[in-house]
Amino acid sequence: MRAHLVAIGLASALAALSSGAGCGKQAVRAAEKEFLADQVMVFDDDPHEASSDDHIRTNREGAAGGHGAGGGGCGCN
Amino acid sequence: MRLQLAALAAGAVAIGAPGPARADDRAEVSTSLFAEQRDGGKGGLTVIHPQADLGVDLGRFVTLDVSYAADAVSGATSVIYQADAVSSATRFSDTRHEGTLGLGFHGKRSQINFSATVGTERDYLSRQFGGSASIDLPGRNTTVALAYSHSFDLVCDKDNGMATPQEAKALTGADPCDKSGGVFGKDRPGVTLWRGLSIDTAQTTLTQNLSPTMNLQIALFGQIQEGFQSNPYRRVRIGQNSPQEHIPDTRDRWSLSARLNRFLPRLHSAVHFDARFYDDTWGVIAGDAELGYSQYIGKSLLLKVHARVYQQRAARFFKDAFYYETESTAGAYFTGDRELSPVRNAVFGGKLTLITLGGDHPVWGLFDKLQFNLKADVLMLDVLAADDLASNPVGVDKQFIYGNSLIDAVILQLGLTGNY
Repeated sequence: MRAHLVAIGLASALAALSSGAGCGKQAVRAAEKEFLADQVMVFDDDPHEASSDDHIRTNREGAAGGHGAGGGGCGCN
Repeated sequence: MRLQLAALAAGAVAIGAPGPARADDRAEVSTSLFAEQRDGGKGGLTVIHPQADLGVDLGRFVTLDVSYAADAVSGATSVIYQADAVSSATRFSDTRHEGTLGLGFHGKRSQINFSATVGTERDYLSRQFGGSASIDLPGRNTTVALAYSHSFDLVCDKDNGMATPQEAKALTGADPCDKSGGVFGKDRPGVTLWRGLSIDTAQTTLTQNLSPTMNLQIALFGQIQEGFQSNPYRRVRIGQNSPQEHIPDTRDRWSLSARLNRFLPRLHSAVHFDARFYDDTWGVIAGDAELGYSQYIGKSLLLKVHARVYQQRAARFFKDAFYYETESTAGAYFTGDRELSPVRNAVFGGKLTLITLGGDHPVWGLFDKLQFNLKADVLMLDVLAADDLASNPVGVDKQFIYGNSLIDAVILQLGLTGNY
């Protein structure tokens, strides 16, 4: 039951996000994306840094998720 | 199990949103050092975490990624959760190895990736399969991504037969944790056995360009953990006894986060904001917020500074050690896991990146772009009381062996990334 609720929740959220995203269609033209393409504007531009940060946080905190990092594993007892 | 939490973490993060699109082959190596102070006269805790990734384009549409990561951990830990855990501090060391193989397929506006990860250490085995997909909606200002992974993990535990939780003995470093083929657990009846833990993780992410200088990302994360989640080494003092920690087999978790970037063209810099709310069925509720600032210095240097604060509420079944020790019953579940206690922390730090572009002549004869990173953070942590402090004559300062100084840990990271 819990799994179903989580799945329904995720699907609903995705649908809401997708439908809402259409408002951004004309937000920025291709010629205006110089700054958006800069590496400081890219989320998780450094996967190792993101992975390392999540690595430490999930071994020091009870929370998890929310960031698009890859990798994992730590040894912090 | 010294590193069990790490493996749980891997389940949480490995399925995140797809990274930035890679237009060329790349190689990345880095090493992190985490050094934490601990009381008890057994030294601190040190974790060295090397990582190496290699990404190769196989034609126009296919990418192959191979990565390796390890954790070398040594230092002090406490064996028994009690009002004075400092007196039970001991030294330990362990190493975890993890390898990942990924295959990606890229179209003009979409990509789909598959990955398989195997992690192994003395007392924990992890096998994870995952996939992610993303698409740029018309206008290329919106990216929607969905990711899912499943982990089949095994935890080495003492074979306690039919013993009740109050009678269960904890695993010790001397107990054997047999494996076959390096990644399959092999029980030794009457001594040790491998217990299963499955982790299903899903995340959906929306990334939106809001203006020529501002973008936003919203992520919804959900995870279901089913199986053995206790630390088999950890004991909890209950009256005169110290049985193995006992926590529920099922945990459902979710979080919602938002991140915002704003570029400042006149200053050639950017500000970053990040916030997250987290909740789970064990009663842990948490929130965090982070503020960052990136500044280019000339054409080759990039400095980023950041500050983050975090706070969480304890799990429903967590008690301060004094109450487990003195109440007539500990309840159905009992734990000494600090990550399930009420805790807050703050992190401050900076990162310096040296960027070298090859131009007509590749850097070191190979790379179109080479980046060297140096990052340093300090962590300040504060353990709070879960129960009535006025009725607790011994307080909570010694129930964990983590140091009580202003700076609890230092984190350093060195990295080198090359695109070729």
